[in-house]
Amino acid sequence: MDPDVLIVGAGPSGAIAAKRLAEEGFRVLVLEQGDWPDYSKATVHREDFPLTAGRDWGWDPNVRRAAGDYPIDDSESDITALMWNGVGGGTVVYAAQWQRNMPSDFRVRTLDGVADDWPMTYEDLEPYYVRVERDFGISGLAGDTAFPPGEGPPLPPVPLGPAGKRVAKAHNELGWHWWPAPLAIATRDYGHLKACQQVGTCLQACHYQAKGSADLTHWPRALELGVELRTRARVRELTRRPDGLVGGAVYLDADGNEHEVKAGVTILCANGVGTPRLLLLSDDLANSSGLVGKRLMMHPFGTVVGVFEEDFRAWQGPWGQYIHSLEFYETDASRGFVRGAKWGLQPTGGPFSMTSAYPWGAENEIWGEGFQDAVRGRLGHSIMWGIIAEDLPEESNRVVLDPIGTDEQGVPGAKIEYRLSENSRRLVEFHQQRAQESLLAAGAYTTVVAPFIRATGWHLLGTTVMGTDPNTSVVNPQGRTHDVPNLFIFDGSVWPTSAGMNPTATIAALALRFTEQLIESRRDQRIAA
Amino acid sequence: MNDHRRAQLGAIADELIPAGSGMPSASEAGVAGQYLDEVLAARPDLAEPLERALEGVDGLEGGAAIAKLRTNDPEGWGVITAVVPGAYFLNPAIRAALGYPGLERRPIDPDAPPDYNDDGLLDSVIARGPVYRPTPAD
Repeated sequence: MDPDVLIVGAGPSGAIAAKRLAEEGFRVLVLEQGDWPDYSKATVHREDFPLTAGRDWGWDPNVRRAAGDYPIDDSESDITALMWNGVGGGTVVYAAQWQRNMPSDFRVRTLDGVADDWPMTYEDLEPYYVRVERDFGISGLAGDTAFPPGEGPPLPPVPLGPAGKRVAKAHNELGWHWWPAPLAIATRDYGHLKACQQVGTCLQACHYQAKGSADLTHWPRALELGVELRTRARVRELTRRPDGLVGGAVYLDADGNEHEVKAGVTILCANGVGTPRLLLLSDDLANSSGLVGKRLMMHPFGTVVGVFEEDFRAWQGPWGQYIHSLEFYETDASRGFVRGAKWGLQPTGGPFSMTSAYPWGAENEIWGEGFQDAVRGRLGHSIMWGIIAEDLPEESNRVVLDPIGTDEQGVPGAKIEYRLSENSRRLVEFHQQRAQESLLAAGAYTTVVAPFIRATGWHLLGTTVMGTDPNTSVVNPQGRTHDVPNLFIFDGSVWPTSAGMNPTATIAALALRFTEQLIESRRDQRIAA
Repeated sequence: MNDHRRAQLGAIADELIPAGSGMPSASEAGVAGQYLDEVLAARPDLAEPLERALEGVDGLEGGAAIAKLRTNDPEGWGVITAVVPGAYFLNPAIRAALGYPGLERRPIDPDAPPDYNDDGLLDSVIARGPVYRPTPAD
């Protein structure tokens, strides 16, 4: 029997939709081009882990070239697109920084006169934030003064530790905001998650299964509920029917054999590059607006390191972040740019990381005389602010099909074209200056502004924009494409603006809201019978 | 990797990590010997690019080799600057001298009182009040 719902992509949005639909009795099939994460490669206690981590848990599909990856031509992009193609998606390798968007993020046009408002408010999404925070085992503390009052996450926050406390105290003296970090890191045993061991390798998958990644938080239950998950199933195109509906998809298995699946409803959850790629591969499906692939946003990223006399033993810890600050998140026109950025205070890693060009920069190169003293000076003594900067949507920043490159099975890859705007440059520069002031106020004897690097495109947003007008958007506020009544998009592609936050919390809340709306409207939903 | 290439690597590595602060140089610490073997056992994919990088600077002294790699062979420079510190820090004596125990389990004590409000840290944040712009009325 054909499934009621076909979902493409087993990352967080696909997992949320699959589990929730299965709870309501829908027959769900999920096609995932990659595989399950192999946690046997999370060899965090081996001394050679710094050497193998980048190979086994790398973010760049062009470098990694794993089974589920497709090539992305980034030769015309200031930032490279990073992702994890497999069960759990980006949550397998994310830093677990679980940031809700702020109310102003949904009203950018109204408040700041740029870009677009979202067709929903913070208050509309708030109940779904609460639910996904329970589902992902989020830790943190209610009452953050950067957000409206309401229910907080289910687990207590990670310890601030000496570094977090030092910077928190400095922010109090400066009169600047900070708050214990919200994280998808379990601070207690919770469901399928184990309590965090603070090993600090969140970005290379969690050996201790303490990180709320969708392969752990959602997939076990989804499979128990009867969801069928086919891995190494690379969707080549969606199938169109004469009546204007999508019939399902054609996919290639690991051996290159072609299969067709049919479903009543199809939901794309393939991320901000994969989803538009698939629509473009499907003969420009759902693209009457011409906006499929356009408005790509990837969050320019800044890093500022502070080096202290004090030994924080900061080669590990909850890598996500000790604390966050949203002091400069809201627009202040006097700064010469609009919108803002979120800061997360992080450890800096082990000895190997002390020698790398990022974040330390060419001017602080460590080689030669004094090498050992320099390593000792940095190791454990340094912490850094990671700065997630909002970039505004521009149609010239986009995903297109690669006219040349193909994946292993001959399907065209993606090409991204992305240029940093002047607003983004000013924004990042301002925040780097303030972050230096923060660390100096905390007692750092020196700070380092990391050089700009391209490999920071963890957040892939905006390429099938959501809105109420079919002429200016691809999906409606329910995630349904305007053009095809039984085709939905539930991933970060639908974001009208990017906010300046790590996006998984909002991707998850949106996916749950979309799913509930689909369930609610099931009687009226047109399906490919 | 043959002895010649190892000698080349050792000379380059000693320019990058000379002896100092009571600690041995890279070659003295086994960067071109035992610990190179361990690096390549963990990352056999690095062997070929490393060989290629060294071949490109064959016959040059350590300093001149580095200058050429930086200028003409960014990929080779990247491999060298991964392999050399990678091998150096694999030596347990080096890690001990740095006071680095490796990644340890630091379980969060569920019974420990939270530290986020030590000395009333959060009081002034809360006293300042909201720092967000609320959703505007339609």
